[in-house]
Amino acid sequence: MGLAVPAALLALWELCSRLAIVSPLYFPAPTTVGWVLADRFAAGDLGAQSLVTLTRLAVAFALAAVPGVLLGLLMGIARPVRDAVEPYIAFIFPVPKITLLPFLLIILGVGEPAFVLTGATSAFFQIVISTLGGVQTMDRHLLEVGRNYGAHGARLFWKVILPAALPTIFTGLRLGLGLALVTLVAVEFIAAKSGLGHLVYRHWQMLSTPEMYAAFALVSALGLALTRGLRALQARVLTWQDDVGV
Amino acid sequence: MRALARWLAEHWIAVGSPIVLLVAWEWASATGLLREAFFPRPSTIVGHLRSLVADGTLWGHTATTLVRIGWAFALATVLGVGIGLAMGIWRRLREGLDPVFAAIYPIPSVLFLPIVSFLVPPGEVALIVTSAVTSFFLVAFTTTHGVRQIDRLVVEAAVHYDARGWRLFASVLLPGALPFIFTGLRLGLGFALIVVVAVEIVSASRGLGALLWLSWQILKVEDMYATFFVIALLGAVLSYGLAALRARLLPWVQDVAEQ
Repeated sequence: MGLAVPAALLALWELCSRLAIVSPLYFPAPTTVGWVLADRFAAGDLGAQSLVTLTRLAVAFALAAVPGVLLGLLMGIARPVRDAVEPYIAFIFPVPKITLLPFLLIILGVGEPAFVLTGATSAFFQIVISTLGGVQTMDRHLLEVGRNYGAHGARLFWKVILPAALPTIFTGLRLGLGLALVTLVAVEFIAAKSGLGHLVYRHWQMLSTPEMYAAFALVSALGLALTRGLRALQARVLTWQDDVGV
Repeated sequence: MRALARWLAEHWIAVGSPIVLLVAWEWASATGLLREAFFPRPSTIVGHLRSLVADGTLWGHTATTLVRIGWAFALATVLGVGIGLAMGIWRRLREGLDPVFAAIYPIPSVLFLPIVSFLVPPGEVALIVTSAVTSFFLVAFTTTHGVRQIDRLVVEAAVHYDARGWRLFASVLLPGALPFIFTGLRLGLGFALIVVVAVEIVSASRGLGALLWLSWQILKVEDMYATFFVIALLGAVLSYGLAALRARLLPWVQDVAEQ
């Protein structure tokens, strides 16, 4: 089974497009898209645009991950910080982060910082919430055992709290990266003049549909590679996450 | 009264922090510490919000957005629950569709707008169908998972007692999957809002997303903040309100926390 259905669907699409059962202008045959994909990669521009999106993603993720984990941990450890910050997190979290784009465009001007920060905010809130959740839902017994064995302050944090919260933090980072990608590509589609999202928009406007589908397929591949890759990494790095029970 | 006092004693930081922030913002914008062109005073924003409400602009756009969310959510629910249940029950269907869904799911829904607008009439229908895509996947995934996590013993016992076909489905599989379906619906509704607003920014002339974007283009900053506030309020009502509603209406159905 496995890949039989996707292959069958692609073959059906190919057939319909070749026989003009569906409009080949709007739905070019997958092989045509494949050729364009290879061609554009050979010409170098598709690789360059993918790199633009990836660079933005890396910067956005870094900008979200470091402060996000720190704030989440701080909120988990210090009750007053949690009380002070939680209302804002709760207020902003359900908001579509793309709505922050016009504000950042006004404040920072049209350019990379505004695009990247919009992507970063969508990851940031997810990471804060997951990190806080990781600290809050950790097994209380672990804390007590740690304390009984004389771990306090920094030692308790590094040896007990952080390792216990790490699996949830990692999940938050994974989800955050996915959200940052989604938001960034949407931002590129709407406002940027480069990147994979912009390619889809531009080729849509020009009705050069094979190029449009090629960019579309690349976004899909990127998202799939990131989510699958991180999940595999999580399983490999955090080997203790299934046996945290005392 | 005493309960209120106790609640305040417990939560004074959470209540005080936004008040302090708003006062500080007001003061900083008034004294020019923050540029009023970017950060208009909260009192000015409230004034604009009031006039947008008074002349009916805001109601019109909010109603448009809400109707779109309703349609997109309905579409995602019907298709998502249907296909999710089918995928949960028939292994072959699940194995066949899994790789297709896995490849499509990580794509930001806004990108579907071009393809959808080739398939259905561009405009309102395309907007709604595009907005339904992400919610559909969420609902379908959680529903499939909901069916699959049902205890096999329960299913076997039901089969032994001659529950087959429709009866098995209606009295065992559907109720068993219900908590997961609800979680999927809650997440799906949240995403319907997100995508509707995003697609409105891209392509619509009405709706809250469009209002926000148009306010930016003509640099009506106060209107941007006012619109943002309404969108945030809508988000809060949809995500926290639905959770509260479920707890009240269906107390026996637990919400499965998402990971």
